[in-house]
Amino acid sequence: MILVLVGVSLIVFAIMMLIPEGQRVAIYVTGEKIRNEQIDSLIVKYGLRDPAPVQYFRWIKNIFKGDFGHSITASAPVIEGFKMYFPVTLELVLYSTPLIILVGIWLGTIGAVHKDKPIDHFTRIFAIVGYSLPTFWLGLMLMMFFYGLLGIFPPGTISIVGKDILYNPEYHQYTRILTIDAILNGNWRMFWDAIYHLTLPTINLVLLSSALIMRLMRSSMIDALGQDYIRTAMAKGADKKTIYNTHARRNALIPVITISGLMFAGLMGGMVITETIFARKGIGLWMARAATQLDVAAIMFNVLFLGVVFVVINLIVDLIYAWVDPRIRLT
Amino acid sequence: MEKLVEAEELRTNFYTFEGVVKALNGVSLVVNNGETYGLVGESGCGKSVSVRSMMRIVQAPGKIEEGKVVLFFNEKDRNKGIDILKRSEAYMQSIRGNDISMIFQEAGTALNPVLSIGFQVGESFLLHRRGEMIKLAVKTLDKKIDENSNSLFRMWRKFHKRLLQNETDDLERYKTEIVKIDSDLYRTEGKTDSKSLEKHKRLLVNRERLNKQGLKVRLQLKTPIIRRYVRRINAAVREKVIELLTDLGVPNPGNIVDRYPHELSGGMQQRIVISIALACNPTLLIADEPTSNLDVTIQAQILDLIRQLKKTQISSVLFITHDLGVVAEICDRVTVMYAGDTCETASVKDLFKEPMHPYTKGLLKSVPKGEIGEKLQTIPGTVPNLITPPSGCRFHPRCPDVMEICKSQKPEMLMMKDGHSVACHLYRKK
Ligand code: SF4
Ligand SMILES: [Mg+2]
Repeated sequence: MILVLVGVSLIVFAIMMLIPEGQRVAIYVTGEKIRNEQIDSLIVKYGLRDPAPVQYFRWIKNIFKGDFGHSITASAPVIEGFKMYFPVTLELVLYSTPLIILVGIWLGTIGAVHKDKPIDHFTRIFAIVGYSLPTFWLGLMLMMFFYGLLGIFPPGTISIVGKDILYNPEYHQYTRILTIDAILNGNWRMFWDAIYHLTLPTINLVLLSSALIMRLMRSSMIDALGQDYIRTAMAKGADKKTIYNTHARRNALIPVITISGLMFAGLMGGMVITETIFARKGIGLWMARAATQLDVAAIMFNVLFLGVVFVVINLIVDLIYAWVDPRIRLT
Repeated sequence: MEKLVEAEELRTNFYTFEGVVKALNGVSLVVNNGETYGLVGESGCGKSVSVRSMMRIVQAPGKIEEGKVVLFFNEKDRNKGIDILKRSEAYMQSIRGNDISMIFQEAGTALNPVLSIGFQVGESFLLHRRGEMIKLAVKTLDKKIDENSNSLFRMWRKFHKRLLQNETDDLERYKTEIVKIDSDLYRTEGKTDSKSLEKHKRLLVNRERLNKQGLKVRLQLKTPIIRRYVRRINAAVREKVIELLTDLGVPNPGNIVDRYPHELSGGMQQRIVISIALACNPTLLIADEPTSNLDVTIQAQILDLIRQLKKTQISSVLFITHDLGVVAEICDRVTVMYAGDTCETASVKDLFKEPMHPYTKGLLKSVPKGEIGEKLQTIPGTVPNLITPPSGCRFHPRCPDVMEICKSQKPEMLMMKDGHSVACHLYRKK
């Protein structure tokens, strides 16, 4: 696990080294414009011509100090930018991930239970459509239809009225996650405002990502329902509901859990596009901007951050896996 | 002898991608009260499908097309019986595991890998003996209420007792409703006038819709915290499971209940499967090759166990096997099957002494007699593909005595002498 992180850091560093020193200076310089004649002295000052290993360890040392350099796109230190953008993304993840998993598992189960019946075909069409549509197209369509035509569910994260409340000194931003802060402040207006803006991006992500889970759940549920232990349960006199919920589903979930770790990778990709389309100032949008403006510090930080997220997600997946499947529980 | 279960002209097909597999071609068999009945044949001849059809647990893509499975379980329906293929699924659920149970060939795959042994065995009790389990839970609870003087605990326990009582009342109500519908169904069954048919149909729908649990009980089972009283039932079930496992000679049952199937040996897994089947003292036990995948010594132990259970607990056993040695050892009567057809039915003694059907004869010749250097005979040819089965007698491509008529006409079951019948054109009265 640690090894994975070291690997990620090495790759990130290697990519960074490909960028000319002159531009890497930007990582270290805060704020003010750099004049051309200064560059050389700055390169020397920050040791950007030192041998690679020396630079790598210096970089790592800084990371442990919490210094990730300066982000041009956030016009602030990277870590400050992170504090600003991350809660927005986290909020979207918080609402879409459970929905993706629940909708996927639910539709998959329905499809398997009613195999080859109309409802099964319907869910499968839903899956194929969701699976094959490009994220940006669906996002734009949703936006065009709901906001453009009907005038509901606007882009952004919050309305102007909401912003007013946000900067009111009596309103405390505990977590910077809008809905949670709203609840903590007991401000329902704020809460619904945030939810209102979250709706479309959440639908977008759920439509796209639950398709994968649904398809997998359907096939593994069909597989489970054909197993011998289902026959045993039937011979016992168990009713359909018990057979589906107790005997089949848990077995069917095992492969789904493995894949949902991977699904998360897709979700991150979808996040960049979704945030860009719906103008949500989150990590995805930040990364997209950083990439187009060669904000090296921000890109490096985010790649590293995603690496950490993946390691953590995999750990969680492994834990859930062991909880569901007693065969791999350590004794 | 009294009939216990009778299957008549069962036809079951499997709708696979390659085509329709005609697995059962009109299978008829009778299991009498008190006997151990054997069903023999090569693998793939439809033994398992027959019994699964009889229990209505044929899994997709299989479908029972026609036939009858008549039960003569209760004294009062001795003469008419109940055709369970016509009854509702809910009725079948109340019979499976309760009156008819089944044990399986591969215990390893027959047990659910993600559920504990205690749960899998205990489920039988919860499905068919919930009332008794609740009574046991109430008993333990009563003792605790007496002992404890702390008033808060006392209130909590009294509350639980109340909830358990709710469930008992609910079960009673359900039981009376069931009894009423079932007896109405029994009366209308088999009648052909349109009024009775109409009524029968309506009753079947009602039986299916009849809710096991009333709203109050469903609520108390779903609400968090309140539903914790279910643990008391589960504790009672656990006691019963341990008791059952001890009876079946499972060593260290208190430890086994918390284990998972993969942690047990093959023989132990089979014992667990047997205990699931026996939990509710069934009238008929169907054993589908329960010893085929076990070591010889374990095999003998399991056979012993079944034989002993036959003496003490279960009235009849339907034993499926491909091993004629096992048939000779434990069965009273036996039916030989070939490619979805029943060939011959006889008492074990008659079958071994004077086999009639050419297939039975071939089968008996291929059994080693234990002589050194003996040459075993085999039946030439291979088992037919059941998507395109041979016409007429399905055995005709391999039969040494084949006649012209065999290719076009399916032989009927002929009663040769008392209790010995055979389906072969050779024995047709000219
Ligand atoms: S019916 Fe004909 S083919 Fe079939 S077993 Fe008898 S003799 Fe052989
Ligand atoms: Mg079999």
